[in-house]
Amino acid sequence: MKKHLFQSSKLVVILLILFSCTENQPEVPRGEFESGILILNEGAFGSNDGEVFHLDPSTEELKPNIFESANGRPFAGLLQDIVYENDQLYLVANTGKIEIVDAGDFTSTGAVTTDLDQPRSLTVNSGKIFISDYGPYDADFNTPESYIAVVQEINGGGVSKKIPVSRKPEDLISVGKFILVAGSEEGMVEVIDAKQEEVVETIEVTGSPKVFFETNGIIYLYAIDASEVRFYSFNLENFTIASTDIFPISMATGKIASGNDGMLYLIRSSGFPDYVDAVATLSLSNSTVNPNWHEGSGFYGIGVDQIRGEIYLANSNGFQGNGTVTVLDESGNEVDEVEVGRGPSGFLIR
Amino acid sequence: MILLLWVLSFFGQIPEKQDTVSLSEIEVNAAVLERYSQGQKQITWKKEDLSLVGSQSLADLLSVQSPVFIRQYGPGMLASPSFRGTSAGHTAIFWNGMPITSPSLGQSDLTLLPVFAFESASLHFGSNGALIGNESIGGSIHLNSESKFNAGSTFLFTQELGSFGQFNTQAKGRISTEKLIAQSKIYRQFSENNFPFRNLALPETPIQRQAHGQVSQWGFVQDFGWKITSNKKLKTSLWFHEADREIQAPLGSVTQDQQQDQSLRWVMDYEQYAAKSTFQLKTGFVVENQIFNKSLNRTKQFLLGTEWDYQVNPHWFFHLGARFIHQIGELSTYQAVDQRVELFQSVKFEPAENLNLALNLRQISYDDQVQPWIPSLGMGWTFWKKGNQELKLNLSAGKGFKVPTLNDRFWFPGGNPDLLPENSWTSEAGLEWKSGKLSQSLTGYHMSVDDWIIWLPQGNIWSPQNIRKVRSEGIEYQGTFRFPTGKVKWENQWQYSLNRAVSVRKISDNDSSVGNQLPYTPQHQANFSMKAKYQSVYLLLQNSFTGERNVTADNPRTLDAYFLSNLTMGFSEFALGDFKIPIQFRIQNLFNTEYQVLYLRPMPGRSYHFNLSIQL
Repeated sequence: MKKHLFQSSKLVVILLILFSCTENQPEVPRGEFESGILILNEGAFGSNDGEVFHLDPSTEELKPNIFESANGRPFAGLLQDIVYENDQLYLVANTGKIEIVDAGDFTSTGAVTTDLDQPRSLTVNSGKIFISDYGPYDADFNTPESYIAVVQEINGGGVSKKIPVSRKPEDLISVGKFILVAGSEEGMVEVIDAKQEEVVETIEVTGSPKVFFETNGIIYLYAIDASEVRFYSFNLENFTIASTDIFPISMATGKIASGNDGMLYLIRSSGFPDYVDAVATLSLSNSTVNPNWHEGSGFYGIGVDQIRGEIYLANSNGFQGNGTVTVLDESGNEVDEVEVGRGPSGFLIR
Repeated sequence: MILLLWVLSFFGQIPEKQDTVSLSEIEVNAAVLERYSQGQKQITWKKEDLSLVGSQSLADLLSVQSPVFIRQYGPGMLASPSFRGTSAGHTAIFWNGMPITSPSLGQSDLTLLPVFAFESASLHFGSNGALIGNESIGGSIHLNSESKFNAGSTFLFTQELGSFGQFNTQAKGRISTEKLIAQSKIYRQFSENNFPFRNLALPETPIQRQAHGQVSQWGFVQDFGWKITSNKKLKTSLWFHEADREIQAPLGSVTQDQQQDQSLRWVMDYEQYAAKSTFQLKTGFVVENQIFNKSLNRTKQFLLGTEWDYQVNPHWFFHLGARFIHQIGELSTYQAVDQRVELFQSVKFEPAENLNLALNLRQISYDDQVQPWIPSLGMGWTFWKKGNQELKLNLSAGKGFKVPTLNDRFWFPGGNPDLLPENSWTSEAGLEWKSGKLSQSLTGYHMSVDDWIIWLPQGNIWSPQNIRKVRSEGIEYQGTFRFPTGKVKWENQWQYSLNRAVSVRKISDNDSSVGNQLPYTPQHQANFSMKAKYQSVYLLLQNSFTGERNVTADNPRTLDAYFLSNLTMGFSEFALGDFKIPIQFRIQNLFNTEYQVLYLRPMPGRSYHFNLSIQL
């Protein structure tokens, strides 16, 4: 989800250009999952029953467990993230593996199954995969040995190197031959040179960095703390902070999605003892904020279908069984509701 | 405490000199349960039954020989019982009358209860909080040591070697005179558990060997009994058990968790018999340490109780008791103390030899809560008898309850001190038909469990709530048929159970599981065992069938049904001088069935076990 949501609009544009260019060419068969909405179901802790569902918003057809259907074996992991790169989808299981599938039909094209602990996300750069990983827990439940794992082939294989980074790295984004890493626990952004496979720069930020996204050609970092959310942009020639936008939105989680007209949708949770969740909206361009755009409880993931102007809001329903996805229009009215897999946590919308 | 003193002073007036006893001298706890649990389904394993599975755990025994579904996370891993669709915490477990369920977790791991450590085991089905106490919602398990006087001296050493690096050693010595019993047992059970399995989490699903599932357990049990006079008895048992396990990760996970469990249990009973009454004073403690990846959780439980059983005449029996339990939790995230006082009363009315009625009541107080009214009622009526044939009708109804565990109330963060006890109602009707060597029984039950506690995420914190309501209904059929053909003695046993356990209340607005079978609760279970004995040679074939299970109540993902067979061959009379040398060879999972009890938790295929004992 996360940054990939923001890239979805780009992808749609690319696809449109691609298809307009090939209009007179013989039709290439399209994979059934090339368009539509991929729903990430994280699965329940200890059960490893994460899976991907596919929803076709035009026909409302929902296909469950598409990894297992395509490959004849269960996904067998907790699905943390899905990353689209070069017609492939990288399914990141925080239980310790990466499955790589064809983006069209979901058949397996490779995997990284050894030497990972708690992978969170990844990026492909210079023909290699860079995987952010919390590393193992120590006796006090800390993760002092977090790293970025390097795999030399884009179709997976063994881990060739682990680059130490600050505790609990989350999202990564590629900028030329460089990779930015959101170090969520220590408020760091590490810059890795993909060729040298080394950290070449470290940027300190306030709050807990969660997600990178690119809008209007600018890379932003979304960071949160108890009372505010921050958006950093960077000078990419020397890796310094270019701008910081601060919004007074309290109790934000790391879940954010980009809508039309620069609108951002992010999930808040009041936590103990009231447990009131809300979707907040804000605009980076005109600084409008609505901290309680949509209220409820159990919100666990968010995505935006920019073409249809629909917001997808996932509810985990306590992980006891199936989750629910509520579809809202841009005014916050409920348009539809779909029952999905266990622990729906995000969307990849194409 | 005042109440207890009152009870003690009252019972202190029992006449001392009496020449007969009203309850079995062998085991008061078991006899009381037997007398007042009229109309409820029970299954009992005696010493001889258990000796055939002496190197296995209670989990292995129940999964093959009972209708209880054992939720097992892998061989040697956590195994918890599910009676009639209820959860692991809805089963009360007693050892010599001492509750041994963890006060913090509210459940027990049946893998850590080796069959070798006790001499008899019984299962009581259905809610009976009045007679049995806390946690008796789905049913209860009772394990007992033997304390038979004047039974002579024996010594037994057993060594078992098996597939996947199994190496079990057990030794038992007993002296039993007219006045004294001393029995010592020591055991070690080890398995590398390096069984091959299909790794469904990897491309091409390769066959791999389990690399992180080693289990090492050892322990000792010391039983001691002293007949002080002909009508006074003191007995005590001490059981230490330690387990060190590599926790088998579910397929797709790379965790390398390590868990140590240590428990020290002690119980002492003073029993005094009179012509028409029996008086018992019980005390004991259970201390448990669980070290999960170096994080220590410790609980302590102390018990002081007294019971008095009185037979007025051949028709009326009364039972009174009081129990005080003090629990201390020293967990990694909290410290807590809890105290419970329980009073219980039972009456049995036997108007005729073929008709028994029993009424039980219990009051319990804990924290600032009082449960004043926990009843159960039962009837056993042998209404038809002709020659060697008889038909018996069993009827019972009862309430069960479970006080929220220490973790439920005090875990930080998320513990909910405002939780109510879980509560249940069971009613059941059973028909027993005995016809010479064939006996069969059919039981139907209906159970409702309310305020069922589940942990739900509240933002980033998980917190328990009294939210689920479940209805469970079913039938259980069982039979035995013993007959000879020539010199071969046959013993056949079979069981079938049908269970429908459904959630009847939504746990959230979007909950679509209402009306669906609960997760990991098979609707169909069956087992069939056949034993043939020719002189001292025996052959035992045990088969069990477990039906499909849902992973979640509303998800289409189900786990396949499986059928397992174990074949045991033994020779019990081989001797060398004074030494008897029984030998046994066993094949488990005879047909090498690939199966999972729980999702992505592979179980082992065929394994071979050779067992040799030296008995003096």
